[in-house]
Amino acid sequence: MKLINKIKNNAALFVVAGVLFASCNKVPETPIPSVIPPNPASGISLSATITANADDSLFNRLVIRTGSQAVLNNTLNRYTVYVPNNAAMRNFVNAASGGMIPVASPDAVHSNFLNTTLPIASAGGIVQYNISPQVVTSATITSTFPNFAYPSIINPNPAASALLRLNNYPSKRSNGAWLNNIPLVPGIDVAAANGVIHHTAAVTTPPSAFLWSRINTDADMTYLRAAILRADSGTTATPGTLNSANLQSVLSEFGPNLTVFAPTNAAFSATLTGAIYQGLVAQGFPVGAGTLATATALATATDANGPTVFRNPILFSVLTAQVVKGIVVYHILGDRAFSVNCPTTTTNVRTLLNSAVPTHPGIGITATFTGPGVTAITVKGVGNPSAFPVSINPTPNPFGASDQHFVNGVLHKLNGVLLPQ
Amino acid sequence: MKKITNYLVTFLLANILCITVLAQNTTISGNVRNSATKENAGAVSVTVKDGTTGTYTDDKGNFKLSVKSLPVTLLVSSIGYELQEITVTSTAKLQVEFVPSNALGQEVVVSASRVPQRILESPVSIERINATAIRNAPAVSYYDVLSTLKGVDVTTSSLTFKTPTTRGFSGSGSARVTQLMDGMDNQLPGLNFSVGSVIGLTELDIDNVELLPGASSALYGPGGMNGTILIASKNPFKYQGLSFQVKAGVMNTDKRYRSASPYHNWSMRWAKKVSEKFAFKIGTEIVAAKDWLGYDNRNYERNGTLGSIKAGDRASDPNYDGVNVYGDETTTDIRTAVLNAIGASAAPFLKNFIDTLNNGRPINVSRTGYAESDIVNPNTINYKVSGALHYKITPKIEAVLAGHWGTGNTVYTGSERYSLRDFKIGQYKFELNSKNWFLKAFTTQENAGESFNATVTTRLTNEAWKPSGGSTGWFSQYAQTYLGARLNGATDFNAQTVARQTADVGRPAAGSAAFKTLFDKVRSVPISAGGGLFVDKSDLYMVEGQYNLSSITNKFADILVGANFKQYALNSEGTLFADQNQKININEFGGYIQATRSFLEDKIKVALSGRYDKNENFEGRFTPRATAVVKVAKNNNIRVSYQTAYRFPTTQQQWIDLGVGSNTRLLGGAEYFNTTYQLSTKPTFELAALPTNTSAYKVNKFKAESVATYEIGYKGLLLSDKLLIDAYGYFGEYKDFLTRTLLIQPTSGNVSDVLNALANKIPVSNVGNIYSVPVNSSSKVKTFGWGFSVDYRLPLNFALSGNVYSDELKDVPANFVAFFSTPKYRTNLSIANTGFGPRKRLGFNVSYRWQDAFLYQADFANDFLPAVHTVDAQVSLKLPKTKSILKVGANNLLNQYYVNAPGNSIVGGLYYVSFAYNVF
Repeated sequence: MKLINKIKNNAALFVVAGVLFASCNKVPETPIPSVIPPNPASGISLSATITANADDSLFNRLVIRTGSQAVLNNTLNRYTVYVPNNAAMRNFVNAASGGMIPVASPDAVHSNFLNTTLPIASAGGIVQYNISPQVVTSATITSTFPNFAYPSIINPNPAASALLRLNNYPSKRSNGAWLNNIPLVPGIDVAAANGVIHHTAAVTTPPSAFLWSRINTDADMTYLRAAILRADSGTTATPGTLNSANLQSVLSEFGPNLTVFAPTNAAFSATLTGAIYQGLVAQGFPVGAGTLATATALATATDANGPTVFRNPILFSVLTAQVVKGIVVYHILGDRAFSVNCPTTTTNVRTLLNSAVPTHPGIGITATFTGPGVTAITVKGVGNPSAFPVSINPTPNPFGASDQHFVNGVLHKLNGVLLPQ
Repeated sequence: MKKITNYLVTFLLANILCITVLAQNTTISGNVRNSATKENAGAVSVTVKDGTTGTYTDDKGNFKLSVKSLPVTLLVSSIGYELQEITVTSTAKLQVEFVPSNALGQEVVVSASRVPQRILESPVSIERINATAIRNAPAVSYYDVLSTLKGVDVTTSSLTFKTPTTRGFSGSGSARVTQLMDGMDNQLPGLNFSVGSVIGLTELDIDNVELLPGASSALYGPGGMNGTILIASKNPFKYQGLSFQVKAGVMNTDKRYRSASPYHNWSMRWAKKVSEKFAFKIGTEIVAAKDWLGYDNRNYERNGTLGSIKAGDRASDPNYDGVNVYGDETTTDIRTAVLNAIGASAAPFLKNFIDTLNNGRPINVSRTGYAESDIVNPNTINYKVSGALHYKITPKIEAVLAGHWGTGNTVYTGSERYSLRDFKIGQYKFELNSKNWFLKAFTTQENAGESFNATVTTRLTNEAWKPSGGSTGWFSQYAQTYLGARLNGATDFNAQTVARQTADVGRPAAGSAAFKTLFDKVRSVPISAGGGLFVDKSDLYMVEGQYNLSSITNKFADILVGANFKQYALNSEGTLFADQNQKININEFGGYIQATRSFLEDKIKVALSGRYDKNENFEGRFTPRATAVVKVAKNNNIRVSYQTAYRFPTTQQQWIDLGVGSNTRLLGGAEYFNTTYQLSTKPTFELAALPTNTSAYKVNKFKAESVATYEIGYKGLLLSDKLLIDAYGYFGEYKDFLTRTLLIQPTSGNVSDVLNALANKIPVSNVGNIYSVPVNSSSKVKTFGWGFSVDYRLPLNFALSGNVYSDELKDVPANFVAFFSTPKYRTNLSIANTGFGPRKRLGFNVSYRWQDAFLYQADFANDFLPAVHTVDAQVSLKLPKTKSILKVGANNLLNQYYVNAPGNSIVGGLYYVSFAYNVF
């Protein structure tokens, strides 16, 4: 009996030991947690951060007026906000009021203008254009030519596509950082729970027009307009549809992102006079003032539709559509280069001509800065003996000559015609 | 074939006709019963001493035996009883009181040398399970009993799909272990896994299971690299009567993975000796349950054979790929597949923005998958039926015509998880055997039924609902929604979430009628037609013969010779093999010889064996074996052996041609694939070698893999024969390992595209076709291990047993994936009693198993598995009047879930009661 009890006890011990051990199994079944950023983000929102900064009060007025607080309070999302400080807003109010509100007016006056007089569409556009739907810290802003296109939260045509956005273009160089051509000022990388804030020295307004609208209406670009129409011979621009073979279409539609160095009429007529003179001489016209006068007359002749030089059958053999197109596209970059993006040492930049002639060296661009502002830009074609200056006047379209910002590009007036060879 | 048949017939006639049939004219009858319990003892051997006449008691313990004259001396014997000699002088009915024996080490094994010998004198390590052990085991299935044997690991793919292996290289459906059922290899010719646990013998028909750990090709032919399991059924001449067993149980009791569900196992066997010449048996078994479930939801980083578990789940990782979640293997980088195109043409104004997404890195996204429980039929059903006719042409020559057929559902893990539905597998055998020879022919007829690859089928179901590619495809919808959300300021996480929700709008919900209809449609379409269905009807044919020449050669040595011919007839209608336009037959033949001689008055027994095999697709292989047994004392032997083994690549490794999605295709190693897929003529690169080595892939000769092992062991009885000790140590060296490697044929022909994809973590399937091809590794690896077991007989029929064993892999080159997949240490402990209490009617068995944590490497998934502890237990009550046993038992008593391979079913507790009638 003793033995049986002993065995029983041992067996019981065995079972207990087994139970203890066997209760330790781990089944590898549950996913290993991964680190997910807090969702929604915790901390102070962009809206609250802007509200808390007294120097942002005028911009905040627009934020409040346009109902954008909800957007900037949304901690599920991430944004970058370019906030014009109050000094910038005062200047904007002064300009927008046609000078009726002096810069030195009390902020209450500026605020009242922003809250009541400024059209709501303009107010909304300004706020939305200065918001990017992602975090762009100063460290991530590009320093390579020309800039980096970040979307704003403006969809210019929601009915066409939910993916359409107007872009803004932050960039930086050793002498500063900009949104488009507007310098960033102290107060950058202000962190909020759902994004980051940079401050700007002026109000960056969204473009609403297309390059073609300026070229088509600017009295000093009638030659450029005529040249484009000549280059487009045989192709058709269908409004609302991008026809990449048709320059007018490219300059008129949403999608392309260009820089146009737009030769003035004077520059065009001077260059054309020379070209026509040489063409006439080649056709047997005598060398001399008579032929030059003929050439000048042909180059400067106009009618109700503008210069006739590109429509004159006599000159078709000289100014063929291909030659004219070659010249026009040589003035257009496939990127949007604001003046502040231009290199300080002469650098060759590819143009649309390179799509046809890939090995072409492009055009040489040189910018001169004073502080964060550009005071001079010159551009030189391969066929030009010397560079031509850009007219520096960044007053917003339609009044300025440089950094004219459009939906599909930026335009700088150039005092010369660039010759590709 | 005809010529072979003629030879066989001549051979048989020669043997049969030379036997003199002796007249018998005096009949002795009697009854044998257990002296302690007074139970009738069936299947007891009753033979005439020094004669050839013998019989077995029937299920009531009765026997009849004809002898020439009286007196005669009868030998009455059975495992578990003391041998009795009875002198019979009259024809009066005998009453034999059979005395139970507690002696150890008395069992006789056949497989170690292909001739019967005491297990104590086996020249190589061997384990044996007899019917009594199965009856008294706590396990619900006799395959589970295997896991308690020293040196054994069992990989559980599902309730009815279990794969035992020894000495490393465990794996679901491992082709390195040969399983022979009554001499028939039960590895399927097409699907390549052994089906012993699925359509093998019914539990009531098991006579014994012998296990040879380690290499054993020298005796059993190619394949036995890591063990040979020989399962023998009960002879109807010996085991007679009607037996049946009903088990009813319950699983999933804690409802952790699925609701509690019943387990049913009914089996029946009926055998009858119609006359001294003719006996037959029939048996059937049905198992029905709701299967264990693969429920590993962890995230898997697919990287060929170097894949690993990683952090994340469906909510946090857009490219989530759950181990047991299917359909989510379809993945792409939406940046390269969709977004870059948007930025390049449709919306150039977004190009810069797109470049900034995910910091410029690939945005890999996988499709939403379905859990295993959503797609695999939970009802596992396994129905087996078998029968055999035994006819004694002469007292010494027995003809056997046997058939085994099984059908059912189960789940298996190969390179993917496979749902084997309504498969039908038959094995049919004709055999002639005598004391000195046997000749048998058998065939395996395989029909995969409605079996399908869970991964491929679910991926295709996703495609059937909504194609992944195209401008309106799932990835395009996902990418555009993601882009739109990001443009609205959404974080990457939120954008991915809304993108998935949008792309999944209308997705058939798991378990819905819509999903079932779609899924059933896809799985019913053959793979060759773009579905997930295997149409595998491959067959195996084999003839084998053996002759023991000892009666002629015993002055010199006991010599045994044998030969076999095997033909695989592959037939998958192009769904698995490259047999859409050609018939694939693979022929293999082999022969062996073994010589055994004793020295120093039987104190040393030496055996030399050699075997030659030739597969038509590979060079012939010779595998030698040398063994010696030294008797150091009575019932104490030391054994030493040198064994070799090899295996020809499986039929799949030779001829598989299976697309598994994402531009990836599994190929065989036959020359056909080199030609068809232009592996040597088109720029093709080995992914594992990139980016370091950009040389074009060189197709090497495809060879058999092999192993050589050296072993020393001891087996002996101590403490008045109450303690049986068995110990071994071995060392093995493997070469020409069969493994797989991934090749890529870049669409452009330029390796730079692949390098670029690798550098940017873009799925390489985006830039070319991927082929998984079998290769021989040039690396040699070494294994060594040891095992130790004790069995101790205590008074009052108590028995203690335990074992501990270890296997290790050495000299593994860096980044070499050997698929060793075996714990370093395992142990089994048990305490049991087969008869105690009033009239010794009570029995019990409690066993505990522990295995160490280990790295499991397999085509399906790699993972470091935690240690496993399990307790099994049973208590039984004998009911002698009705010859019945009632049993209450539990597999995994404490319901501690475990897995023994990543992605395999998670096994919990199974609690059952059983009633067995006339089991012996």
